[in-house]
Formats: sequence, structure tokens, C-alpha cells
Amino acid sequence: MSIRRYLVLILLSIITLMTFFAAIQGYKASMEQATSLFDEQLVLVGKTLLATSATYPDQATENRLSAVTVVPSNHIAYQVFRNNTLLLRTDNAPEQLITELPAGFIDLNFIGQRWRVYIETLPDEPTQINQLKVLIAQPLEQRFSLAEQVILSAVTPIILIIPVIALFIFMAIRQGLKPLTVLRRELSEKKINDLSQLTSETSTKELQPVIQTLNLLFERLSAAFSRERYFASDAAHELRTPLSVLKINVHNLQMTQSEKLDATGQASLMQLGQSVDRMAHVVDQILTLNRTNPDQLTMTVTKLELQVLLQQVISDLYPEIMKHQHDISLESQATTIYANEFALLTLVKNLIGNACKYTPNGGQILVRTVVDDHSFTLTVEDSGPGIDSSEYQRVFDRFYRVGGDGHQSTVVGCGLGLAIVQHIVKLHHATITLAKSMQLNGLSVSVTFPQKTQAVDLYLNQCEKEREDNR
Amino acid sequence: MRILLVEDDIPLALGLQQSLRHEGFVVNHVTNGKTAISALSVPDQDLVILDLGLPDIDGLEVLKRTRDRKLGIPVIILTARDSLEDKVKGLDIGADDYLVKPFEISELLARLRVIERRLGTAKSALIICSDVAIDTAAHKILIKDEQLIASKKEYMVLKALMENAGRIQSRQQIESRLYEWGEEVASNAVEVHIHNLRKKLPEQFIKTVRGVGYTVNKT
Repeated sequence: MSIRRYLVLILLSIITLMTFFAAIQGYKASMEQATSLFDEQLVLVGKTLLATSATYPDQATENRLSAVTVVPSNHIAYQVFRNNTLLLRTDNAPEQLITELPAGFIDLNFIGQRWRVYIETLPDEPTQINQLKVLIAQPLEQRFSLAEQVILSAVTPIILIIPVIALFIFMAIRQGLKPLTVLRRELSEKKINDLSQLTSETSTKELQPVIQTLNLLFERLSAAFSRERYFASDAAHELRTPLSVLKINVHNLQMTQSEKLDATGQASLMQLGQSVDRMAHVVDQILTLNRTNPDQLTMTVTKLELQVLLQQVISDLYPEIMKHQHDISLESQATTIYANEFALLTLVKNLIGNACKYTPNGGQILVRTVVDDHSFTLTVEDSGPGIDSSEYQRVFDRFYRVGGDGHQSTVVGCGLGLAIVQHIVKLHHATITLAKSMQLNGLSVSVTFPQKTQAVDLYLNQCEKEREDNR
Repeated sequence: MRILLVEDDIPLALGLQQSLRHEGFVVNHVTNGKTAISALSVPDQDLVILDLGLPDIDGLEVLKRTRDRKLGIPVIILTARDSLEDKVKGLDIGADDYLVKPFEISELLARLRVIERRLGTAKSALIICSDVAIDTAAHKILIKDEQLIASKKEYMVLKALMENAGRIQSRQQIESRLYEWGEEVASNAVEVHIHNLRKKLPEQFIKTVRGVGYTVNKT
């Protein structure tokens, strides 16, 4: 849950709840006050009625009664008894005595309403003659509605202002959390492998240690990463000279001592030479893998002739191809492309090298290019055993080799070639597809490069700028 | 040919010296840049094999100072620095060749022979591939010691192929060799010369690599 939503919700709930309680308390207090006020009013009216009724004669009630009916029937009702005989009443009061209670307040029902009744008797002693009893009643409903009106007019503005309060709370919280939002945005915009320092300046006391700690962490992580990243390539690099020494000495042994050795000795010497070659190959591939890592290689492209590049790679690999007596052919037209030369050379070298290695002697290799407006596709097919489609994904894993350790041990390889190819494919935003070759029945590897990428645009813009500068 | 070997790694230098001497080269070995520069001030060497990671002065600096003094002595760089930029830099400063460790000794020897031929210090001017030989001094093609009659252009084409035996020469590469010779080349000229040569040479001597170019085998 977001801090902002949490704060807004909790603050609003508290405010609403408190307002509600305040309203209830206010309602109670107002009701009590209204009750005592109305009661006082009843007592006052009762006493006045008592005083005026004392002078009334017993007879001629008819006139008197009609005179009192003017009192609004729904507001107040009363009965006046002299010596238990009805002397006066309003026409919303019954003719019988409402209650036997001699004096005081009581709530009771008559004529379908609930009333507050005040009773006063004068004089107090029931035995005395000329005793006057006044019962004066007011509908309770009227009292409540009056009290409610008072309370409602007090509470309504508070209720109405709650949305406004909510808006202000929301704005205040948003403003308060702004440094956090800025930090969050900077963090979310960071690329996954970007371990650079955070730049957002903050004066917020609480966030400063967070940013400092994060920056410290980034620094340590990036140091650790680069140590790890360079370790493999540094180690491989350091192996180059000792490997050269090994190679030369094996060569020298073969040149000068070989005749003196028996068959086993010569076989051992050949094994030694092959192992050294294999080691040299692994070292080379590890370095290339590191160098083509998309995190490492800044993608700069140049103008290249695809056909010439392919011819060059095939020429470079030709001694190897000849050794296997493969029949290689290239089907391509002169095409200008934009790509990273080192990367593309490495990719083609690995693909053709693989085809050469894994195709039995005397096989066929076909290198083809297809160019359209948006992309160019490079396909290397061979007549070798191919790869089972279930392994298509795994062959790109580092050090993975089809068939595991029981791999044809005569083939010099280390399982890094396709991982390198994968790096280069990613770097160029290209796609790679493995399939069964329709023409040669072996493996077919296709790499499709987009013609237009950001790097290409950058290069073309640079060329344009240089041309203008020259003018 | 006298070779100055500039290499600070002693085991490597010892091994190299043995290989080179076995091939008949005379080798002087120095282990740092300063000694290399002073050794080069005397015109006593025919070629330099130069390591770049030297303990005192960087190999590239040694090369630069050599070229600044207008010394045209051929230099082969032999280094662990294998990036494209390093290669380009080395060649731009004036190296004749650039080999990356760990290298094939046979490749180093082949490149030495190319330079040797260029310098004209080679003991033999013969390039031999199986039954066919070219005498580059006499401009003759020999098949099993019998001279083959061929035009000058056919000779140039065959020489280009045999000099690079085991490697593919593209049509453009062969064409440029003919241009060097200073004549206009028709678009299908190379194909025509190859066709004519094939009629005179043993079967399958010149191989076509479809889409790439032509090649002859070393043996």
C-alpha cells in the first residue's frame, strides 16, 4: 500500500469519525438543553393557567371552552380541573383526566401522540375544597424536531467541509512526499545494469541517509561487478604468454625430438599439442565472450560490405575447412550494411566455425544472405547431424555442449561460441533462429539484423555532421 | 636473415629463439625497450619481432621512435593485446605485421618468409605447391621440373594464388594484383585467366570456393 493512500485514508477516517462523535455529543447536549428549556416553558404556562383559572366560575363553561380553542391544537394541550371536574380544556385534550399523578412531569400517550405532561395542583392538600388541577402537555415530537433543526444547522457545515479537508490533506501529503516520489522516479528510470550514483539532491533530513546509503551500496556493487567482470578476462589475458611458451616448446619438441620418440611418445606429443591448442581456444573464447558482453561493448557501427566481410571470414577459416574437406559456398550479393565490425566478424566466424567443426569430413556448408528494405538475414547451413529441437534453447548457455561431457571429444570446443553469438545478436537487436536445414539436412542458423537501429542512426548523423564540418 | 627479438618473457624468448634458429634465422634477443632502441641504431638487423608490453618503454613507443628515425626495418608485433583498436594502432604506427599471442609458430614463420621474399633476402625464390613450382626470380612456372608456357597475366594470377596457398584469394584481390601491374582489367579477366591456367595445370590444382574466390593447396 502506498504511504500516500494510507495517510489520506487514515486521516480522513479519523476526521470523519471525530466529526460524527462530536455531532452525537452535540445532539445529546442540545436535546438536554432543549428539554429543560421547554419544561420551564410548560411550568410557566401551567402556573399562569392556574392563576387565571382560579377566578373562573364553575358555570358558563360553554363560553369559556369555546374561547380557549384558539390555542393551536398541535402545540400545546391542557386540562384544568376544579374539584375533579373539568373546568377548561383545549380541544386536542381528552375530557377525562390524563393522569392521576398529582404534580410533576410525565411522558405519556394520548390521541395518538406522545406528550410531555406537567401537572400542578393548588392547593396541595387533596381534602381542601376549591382545589385546582392543571395538566399541560406538549408533543414530544415537536421538541425533537426543534432540537434537530438546531443541531443540523450546526453540524451541516462541518459535514460539507469534509471533502475540502480531504483535498487539502491529499495535497499536503503529496507535497510532503515529493522527495520520495523524485527518488522513486530516479530509481525506476535506472537501467538494470546502471550502477551509477543517484543524483537527486534532497534537503529532506529523513531521505539524506537513504540516498547516501544507496549510493554507497551502488558504489560497492559496481566495484564488485567490475572486479568479477574483469576477473575472467584478466585471467584469460594473463594466460596468453604462458600459452605461447607452451605452444612454442611443443612445436620445438615436434621439430627436433620427434624422430627420437617411439609411437607412444609421438602420440603423447600430439595429444599435448592438441590440448594446448584447445586451451588457447578456450582462453580466446572467454576473452571474446567478455568483450562482446552487451554491458561492455559500446555499440558503435560502421559502414561495411557484407559480401566482402563474409569472403574474408571464409578465407580466414579456409585452412580449417580444407582440413575437413568441406565444400563451402557463399550465396550473396554486394550489400552495404551498418554494423559493429568486430562483433559481426566474430559472429560469422563462430557460426561458420561451428558448421565446420560439427559437420563430418567432406560435408557441405552453405552461407547465404537475404536483404530486404528493413533487414538483412545471414544463414549458415550445414550437412552435419544438426541439433535436436529440444536443445535449441540450451545451446546458447555458456559452457553447454550438445550431448554433455560425452560430446565427440575430437571436436575442439568449449561451449562458448553460441553464447558469444547470442551477445552479438542482442547487441544488434537482431534475432537468431535455429532450424533443420531444408537443403542440406543439417543445422540451419539464421540471424536477422534490422537495417535501422538507434546505433545506425547515430552513425549516419555523425557522418552527416562530419560532411558539413568539412564544407 | 638476422632477427632482433624484443621480448621480456624469458621462457617465451628462449622457445622462440630455438624455433627461429631451427629455421635458419640468426636471432639477437633483448629484454627491454631501451636496449632495443640502441640495438636498432646500428644497422645490424634485417627484421624486428617486437613485444608491446615491455617493462620500461612500451613497444609501440619503440616502434614509433624507430619510424621517426626513418628506419624502414620490417617490424612484426607479437603481443597479448588482441583488440581491433590495438591492431589498427600498431599497423598505423608502422608495423608490417601483427600477431596475437598465443600464436601458431608456423604462421609466424610463414609471415617471416613473406617479408623475406619482399626483402629479396630469401635463399630460394621458389614457391612450391605439390607438383607446381614458381621461380619468382626467373618468372617461370614449373610442373615436375618442366617449364609451363603461360602469359604474364596468367603467371601473376598463379603467383598470387600460390603465394597465399591454403588461403582463398577473392576475384577482387587477384584483380588488384593485375592492376598493380598497371593494366586495365576486363570484368571477367580473372575467370578467363583461371580457365586457361586450369587447362595447363594438374586437375583440381586451382579450386573454386563458390561465392568467395579461388585457392590452391599447400601440398
